[in-house]
Amino acid sequence: MQNKFRGVMQSPVTPLKDDYSLDLATFERVLDFHVRTGAPAISWPHHKGESLNLTIAERKLFAEAAVSVVAGRVPVTIHVSALAVEDTMELARHAETIGADGILAITPYFWTPTREAIHDYFVHLCTSTDLPVLSYNSPSYLAGVEITGELMARLIGRLPNFIGVKEASFNSEKFLEISRIALGLRPDFALLTGVEFLLPSVPLGGVGSYSAAGSICPNLCAELFDTCMAGEWARARPLQYKMTRLWHLFRDQYPSSLKGGMAVMGRPVGPTRPPLPTATPERQAYIQKELEDLGILDTEPHGW
Amino acid sequence: MPTFQPGLVHTPLTPFTHEHRIDLAWLGKIIDFHIANAADSLALPMHVGESVSLSDGEKREVIAFAIKQAEGRLPVIAHVSDAGSEIAAALARHAQEAGAAAIVTTTPYYWTPPPAMLLEHFFRIGAAAPRLPFFIYYTPEEMPGTKITAELCLKLIEQLPNFAGVVDLSLDWQFTIELMTYAPRARRDFQLLSGTEHMVSARAIGATGLFSPLAGVAPKLVRRLYDLCRKDALFEAREAQEEVAALRHSIKPGGVASLKAAMREMGRDCGLPRPPLQPLDETGIEKLAAALRTMTAIRAERRGW
Repeated sequence: MQNKFRGVMQSPVTPLKDDYSLDLATFERVLDFHVRTGAPAISWPHHKGESLNLTIAERKLFAEAAVSVVAGRVPVTIHVSALAVEDTMELARHAETIGADGILAITPYFWTPTREAIHDYFVHLCTSTDLPVLSYNSPSYLAGVEITGELMARLIGRLPNFIGVKEASFNSEKFLEISRIALGLRPDFALLTGVEFLLPSVPLGGVGSYSAAGSICPNLCAELFDTCMAGEWARARPLQYKMTRLWHLFRDQYPSSLKGGMAVMGRPVGPTRPPLPTATPERQAYIQKELEDLGILDTEPHGW
Repeated sequence: MPTFQPGLVHTPLTPFTHEHRIDLAWLGKIIDFHIANAADSLALPMHVGESVSLSDGEKREVIAFAIKQAEGRLPVIAHVSDAGSEIAAALARHAQEAGAAAIVTTTPYYWTPPPAMLLEHFFRIGAAAPRLPFFIYYTPEEMPGTKITAELCLKLIEQLPNFAGVVDLSLDWQFTIELMTYAPRARRDFQLLSGTEHMVSARAIGATGLFSPLAGVAPKLVRRLYDLCRKDALFEAREAQEEVAALRHSIKPGGVASLKAAMREMGRDCGLPRPPLQPLDETGIEKLAAALRTMTAIRAERRGW
């Protein structure tokens, strides 16, 4: 059976009003935009959705909005990672209650947990919910804390709802090791990459990514995915290089530059909460010029 | 400068006598084996050839000997790394005079220079052999203190006409994709080469060559992987990729000692490593041999020379 979490899945930004309060009406437009422009799944709130700068109550409120606006058109997963594990558990229970299709959770923040502690954490999470659970592996952001192939094998062997990973090591050897072990044990395991690094991951068993770029260039996302899955590498390479130039534009002051880029594309979503900066008018002008140079303004949808 | 594409590059081991002296006749036998087993180029003495344990004079001798032994049958790339820029530059000059096809150099040993000094280090070495394509060998796992960025490579392209590409062992998608996004725009024939046998992702990103330390152990398997990758048959290459990764996984922890033990298991004795490296102990050898016996692809490789 093919896993339903595949393709360039979109993780929306979190629209804010000028006073930094949640902008529900715009969030609904963002969600609808992603679904209409071909997102195969929605997942919120990733770090680009400023997850850690939202209160737990705010996260629940928008999670409910995501499920109700998407309304079953594509699967919705809720990112439940929080500083305190208690909050993660609460968000996971809430996601199940509101009818989400799955949850996503990173290894615990800050504490540099041991491998056993990471194991116990995922066992606790997965046995506390009936929802499918996608793990999130990001050793470069979390001081080397990682889900190794061996740990992946233990978790897959024990937990029937441990069904995938957002793999953000961005390293050929680590990705291949996880792919070899995970797909060997569970052939429909969802092997996803953080950022749209489809070109190096798809030939090793990757089936998709979580996207930062779909709010700017959904057409490019879809084309990159389709060419990679079809093995049309000569066509896929320039698309991946183009995506890289976009990624460099947006990773600077991430995600404020992404929000700035959305304003350029006629889809304003407001400021970014401190301590993250908000894109200045000068930054937006620079983003506009870069998007022009890349041809994005001609090939991608403008406005909602 | 016409584009030199190294292709599948074998990186021969350096054989030592019991007295820890280089045995050139033995090295000749190893070189002939690589040539007979489908190497497109040779690069030596690389780290697996224990370059760091060779004196400057020995490195010169190995480079000159290999070029002579190859007799033009295939190109020889000289590894010219050192801690001091001028020592490495002098070795680069020697390599050019001796008839090397290209030079390759890594970040300076021990020092962790800031980007401007690193740029100067590479410039001095590359400029010392202006007729040869110059490749950077990026191995952050072995030398974690110094980072090579796409930005640094772009600056070097501006300064050094013979800067031809990067041999990458970082396996880092962020670095290599960034490099291939920008560097070929500045120098059309700029090359990415994979510094290990993780060729599928590297090829997807645009790599055209492969430095293979394992090619001595499994020349058929590595050739199959490389050929599939060069044909862009990347889905088809995954099986060979997993087989090579399993081999690498068995050998990597013991480094050169494991590689030399594996060569002996394959009936191609290359001797023991030179101190300070220690050979594998009996338990280590037996564990490695047992692992090799389980690998279908290794069972399909020819034994002996």
